[in-house]
Amino acid sequence: MKSRRRVLLAASALAGLLLARPGLAADQVVKIGIDASLTGGDAQSALLVKNGAVMAIDEANAKHEVPGVKFEAMVLDDGTATAGQYDPAQGAINARKMVADRAVVGAVGPQMSGVGKAMAPILSWGDLAIITPSSTNPDLTDPKFAQQYRPAGKPIYFRTVATDAYQGPNMANYYADTLKVKTLYILDDTGAYGEGLSNAFQAQAEKKGVKILGHDKIDPKAADYAAVLTKIKQLNPDGLYYGGVMQAGVKLVKQAYEILPHSMPKGGGDGLITPEMLTAAGFPAAEGWYCTNASPHVTEDPAAQAWVTAYKAKFNVLPDDYAITSYDASLVIIDAVKTVAATGKKVTRDAVRDAIQAGKVKTLQGVVSFDANGDIEDRVISIFQVHYDKAFPQDDMIHQFKYVGVAPQS
Amino acid sequence: MTTADVYLQQCINGLSLGAMYALLALGFTLVYGILELINFAHFNVFMVGSFVGLGTLSLFGVVPGAASLSGFMLAAVLLGTLLVTMVTSGALGVAIERIALRPLRDVRGPAAMITTIGVSYVLFNLVLLVLGADSKNFPTPLPSVSFAIGGAVLRLREILIWAVSLVLMGLLTWFVQFTRMGRAMRATAQDPEAARMMGVEVDRVIIMAFFLGSALAGAGGLMFGLYYNFTSYIIGFTAGLRAFTAAVLGGIGNVPGAMLGGLIIGLVEAMGGQLISASWADVIIFSILVLVLVFRPSGLLGRVAPNKS
Amino acid sequence: MKGLFARPAARRAGLALLILGLLAFPYAEGNDADIDSMANAACYAALALGLNIVVGFAGLLDLGYAAFFAIGAYFYGVFTAFQVMPHWSSFWQPFAMLHLVEKLNQGSGDVVHFTLSFWLALPLAALVAAGCGVLFGAPTLRLRGDYLAIVTLGFGEIVPIVARNTPSVTNGAAGLNGVQAPSLFGYNFNVQAIPYYYVGLALVALLMFVSIRLRDSRIGRAWMAIREDETAASAMGVDRTRLKLLAFAIGAAFAGASGVFYIAKLQTATPDMFGFPVSVMILVMVVLGGMGSVWGVVVGAVLLTLLQSWFLPDLTDWTHALGEQIGSQWLQQIDFARSTELIFGVLLVLMMLFRRDGLIPAARGSAALSFEQQNVAGVQRGGFASTEAAEVLGFAAPGVGNLLEVRGVTVRFGGLTALNKVDLVVPAGGVVAVIGPNGSGKSTLFNVITGLVAAESGSIRFNGAEILGLPPHTILARGLARTFQNIRLFANLPVLDNILIGQHARLRTGPIGAVLRGPGTRGEERAALLRARGIAGLFGNRLTPRLQQTVSHLSYANRRRVEIARALASRPRLLLLDEPTAGMNPAETLELAEQIRSLHKLGLTVLLIEHKLDVVTQLADTVVVLDHGDKLAEGRPDEVRRNEEVLRAYLGRAAREALDAA
Repeated sequence: MKSRRRVLLAASALAGLLLARPGLAADQVVKIGIDASLTGGDAQSALLVKNGAVMAIDEANAKHEVPGVKFEAMVLDDGTATAGQYDPAQGAINARKMVADRAVVGAVGPQMSGVGKAMAPILSWGDLAIITPSSTNPDLTDPKFAQQYRPAGKPIYFRTVATDAYQGPNMANYYADTLKVKTLYILDDTGAYGEGLSNAFQAQAEKKGVKILGHDKIDPKAADYAAVLTKIKQLNPDGLYYGGVMQAGVKLVKQAYEILPHSMPKGGGDGLITPEMLTAAGFPAAEGWYCTNASPHVTEDPAAQAWVTAYKAKFNVLPDDYAITSYDASLVIIDAVKTVAATGKKVTRDAVRDAIQAGKVKTLQGVVSFDANGDIEDRVISIFQVHYDKAFPQDDMIHQFKYVGVAPQS
Repeated sequence: MTTADVYLQQCINGLSLGAMYALLALGFTLVYGILELINFAHFNVFMVGSFVGLGTLSLFGVVPGAASLSGFMLAAVLLGTLLVTMVTSGALGVAIERIALRPLRDVRGPAAMITTIGVSYVLFNLVLLVLGADSKNFPTPLPSVSFAIGGAVLRLREILIWAVSLVLMGLLTWFVQFTRMGRAMRATAQDPEAARMMGVEVDRVIIMAFFLGSALAGAGGLMFGLYYNFTSYIIGFTAGLRAFTAAVLGGIGNVPGAMLGGLIIGLVEAMGGQLISASWADVIIFSILVLVLVFRPSGLLGRVAPNKS
Repeated sequence: MKGLFARPAARRAGLALLILGLLAFPYAEGNDADIDSMANAACYAALALGLNIVVGFAGLLDLGYAAFFAIGAYFYGVFTAFQVMPHWSSFWQPFAMLHLVEKLNQGSGDVVHFTLSFWLALPLAALVAAGCGVLFGAPTLRLRGDYLAIVTLGFGEIVPIVARNTPSVTNGAAGLNGVQAPSLFGYNFNVQAIPYYYVGLALVALLMFVSIRLRDSRIGRAWMAIREDETAASAMGVDRTRLKLLAFAIGAAFAGASGVFYIAKLQTATPDMFGFPVSVMILVMVVLGGMGSVWGVVVGAVLLTLLQSWFLPDLTDWTHALGEQIGSQWLQQIDFARSTELIFGVLLVLMMLFRRDGLIPAARGSAALSFEQQNVAGVQRGGFASTEAAEVLGFAAPGVGNLLEVRGVTVRFGGLTALNKVDLVVPAGGVVAVIGPNGSGKSTLFNVITGLVAAESGSIRFNGAEILGLPPHTILARGLARTFQNIRLFANLPVLDNILIGQHARLRTGPIGAVLRGPGTRGEERAALLRARGIAGLFGNRLTPRLQQTVSHLSYANRRRVEIARALASRPRLLLLDEPTAGMNPAETLELAEQIRSLHKLGLTVLLIEHKLDVVTQLADTVVVLDHGDKLAEGRPDEVRRNEEVLRAYLGRAAREALDAA
């Protein structure tokens, strides 16, 4: 409502008059939208994602990355108390908020594919590019659904994270080729991410001739997975794969350690590469679990280490994988603005979108570029194994996840 | 594992789960029996109880990675933690009653129940905001001891959860049956007006019901933590819902009914996971609930009471 | 404010202004996001209206209401999204001609793509959801309130689980792709906010209209009667099972239609969108606005939705801006968005503690009576002996023979025998009194006759036909009406509504008639109103000036009168009065006794329980004495008064001496 905004403006103007401080020369303000599920069940990971995006923006401003441009974050929350978690309807409202503000030239988010599906058509008509750090459902960038998710024509939904369509299958190759797994049991946590990941994994595993003894869903809100784990123990597969995030993951890892043979290979996707794997699931339960990351292995390089330290110092919390992808997403947008500004053209949404599409940007996870559908081109899937190294703190993400190698491409 | 071993193991799984549901169900039943109120705050008193247990254990020096205890020290630490957790949770329950529910005691309709939903939201979000959303590792002082029964495994933690549940239920039954306060509670449950006229201090009875129910929920929370080695702000809802289902299934207001209901739900969950699929557990549980209520509206052990008209 | 809007003209002007404002809103406010928020709020308002029918009107606590929202949403979603796509065959040809499906080729042969029209889906989804409501409600609505709450909660959990576990139909957790946007006369809504806003507005307006029409009808009154006192409602002729199912079905239908609107706007749906928090939040909207209040729940829903999407985010911005200006780090750190749920929890508790009736309470308060009003038209002496009374009451001729025959009825509660092979005969046109000490089974006798209590054995014939085992509302419809010893009125309803509910069984209006309110319904309602006023008028100034007052504000004696008026409204042939003069002073007792006698003269047969023996002697032809469930004696009042056994059992020695002295 206009009147509401006016009250807000008047109040801050009043405060400004009272406490006037010298301002800088008038830079052009360019806004980057950030959409995350800050209310409800995903609040914690949303905070990490938001921090990542904000950090890149703050750094760009401090370094005057783009002369004459001041970046501003427009943080929007797509979680509502009504839904108790992410709420696609609020996502749609946020998409409209971004579209309505002409200063917004690009956006980072959303976390959830469900929200992405509601936002994409609106952003497409508004010609606004969004880069998701974590929504991995392939439908969003699938040309089959172009009519639905990019009705205005050009791709606007980009990802700095590989879709389930790569992470799962490559890991399946690793299971079959390297771990020599012949029979498998698959679990997922009923979420969009977990379900997509495990289905993609299963399809490739079957193609490789691995026998799937069962695929079950575990309720992330329930506490006890002993029943399904006992069933798995009875079937005695060569390996276990879990698609999902840590909410169910913590309990699964702990209880699997109690019930299943320790020698059985167990693994999952990037949802497991979190501090919780090390602290809440902890040792010895987490020992030996395989996890994948949908990007080349970088965090042991000094630049990435410095970044983790800076993040911790700034926000007093350790980043997770998606904090990195969302930081990278911000970097890509900032770089696109820089490219556009350097050509002397006006910084418009359309120009920024084209620059994102064409760009090759050096980020924490390596050089990021996008294919014609908006998916990240570099589809290297790195494999890690949890292995406790007493020389480092228990929650040290860099040293407790041991890099194993690159998962074989199909 | 042979098939028989699997079923034995699932029975052990189900009974452990059931023991915890039963502890929680007792709290619902106590409050419902006396006030005819579905107390949704109970869900999160259980959750808070597990965090109180976590804090108390760390005060005793039991932190992740610490060596497990044995003998007298183990018993002392467990008993001490149990007591602190139960008293704190009980006090929380009493506070909820005093602040949010007493003013609504004589109000008809769903007002009081809706208030408990509000209180539940407050507890849930306070824990979320203060302690964060990540799951917490719950340390255990228990040594990792287990016994093989055929191909099935019985662990010390299962024995602990059964023992604690049985003892607490036994104490509660004794309290309700044989103490003065217990008699007053039963009288109030049957007819609060008559009980008041016979000199029962109904206020004290209600406070007692909240204290005992919440203390049992706290004990359940602690057991949850010790059994699963983790806790999180989110554990209250599913466990609470199943426990409430258990209480209704057994006949709400009925103490043995709550125990029976808890064990049945636990077993159904385990066997359902074995025979059908874990993802249909809630569907199976609620279908059983609906069937039982349709054919036996007062629950398995509930009295078929004449209409209060 | 209340005074202002009490005037119909002012209210109409206010309403017109509001509608104009709402219609103009998208043009005054250029921001699509805010318009979309309003459309969202409209959807929740529609949901709140539906839940209001279930919880607010009928008093059924439903904690899984979002399930029906999900059913409607997935109904439309599945029949328009690119999800279920069977192979094309000629079978689909006729459907294609009706534009329900289209042929699609995605590379691997022709497949069917469902393209159900949004406008057709709205009523269809409402029907489907209502059907699910009936299927689910039929076995469970008999349960007591709290059990119903937990069973509905379970249902609310099950529906999203089913959606999640059947990915071939729903695409599981990943969510539907390409739910079709509505189009109207070739104009595609696409993702534009404004057309959805208007559809939402129209939907809410329609549902408010339906809600108000239902509320002010025979159906709405019956729902509220069930909410206030289920037993009394069924004793007054309300078929509670049927009406509860109806409320459940209509509530579900509202949710089904809202679901279609919601996901047509979003063009996707995931199972997570319909979880328990959604059900709770809709309930909170209803409670916040005022249970049973149509305007209230709409305001509640709009407030809570806009609070989340407008106010709280801005509050955060505002605090941060302030923090930046005054250089306070702490203020810049605060994020209200993360505390939304906490704020709601606190709000909910505070509302319950301090403003339970909601922002706009449903019960209309009424002004105190003036001195003149209290004294208009004095009470007629000699009861209702006028010709107008005969006309208003409209009793049939009493007929001949025995109107009621109770034969060998036995009722047991557990080990206690409440009635032991009791026989009782009430001749047509007679007045029979039942007396006996407390606990002798008098009220149980009434309960078994009116169907509230089941008998173990025996027979009860009314007008020659067996009525034992019939449900209470059918027994009332046959012509037996009763009052209760401890007065069971619908306490939060006005006097007029109480009397109108008495006519429930004699009126015909169904839910459709109530909404359409055609000439037939209007005529029936007018007549019912006239008759209710007429019956109240029989009690002179006791009731007429208080017709709009809530029953709970009345004096004890007046409540007794309302209960009798309510029973008379059902046009009974036999009236059962359970201690009608209890708690009345001698003057009031005399007045009532005269009135009962006049009713008898007008052709009504009466069976009464009474402790005041002078009243019994005055009124009854026959007296039956019960003791410990046995019939002790029967005869003319003076005979019974002399019966030694009766005196011993019932009156005690002191009373006997008093009688002898008299």
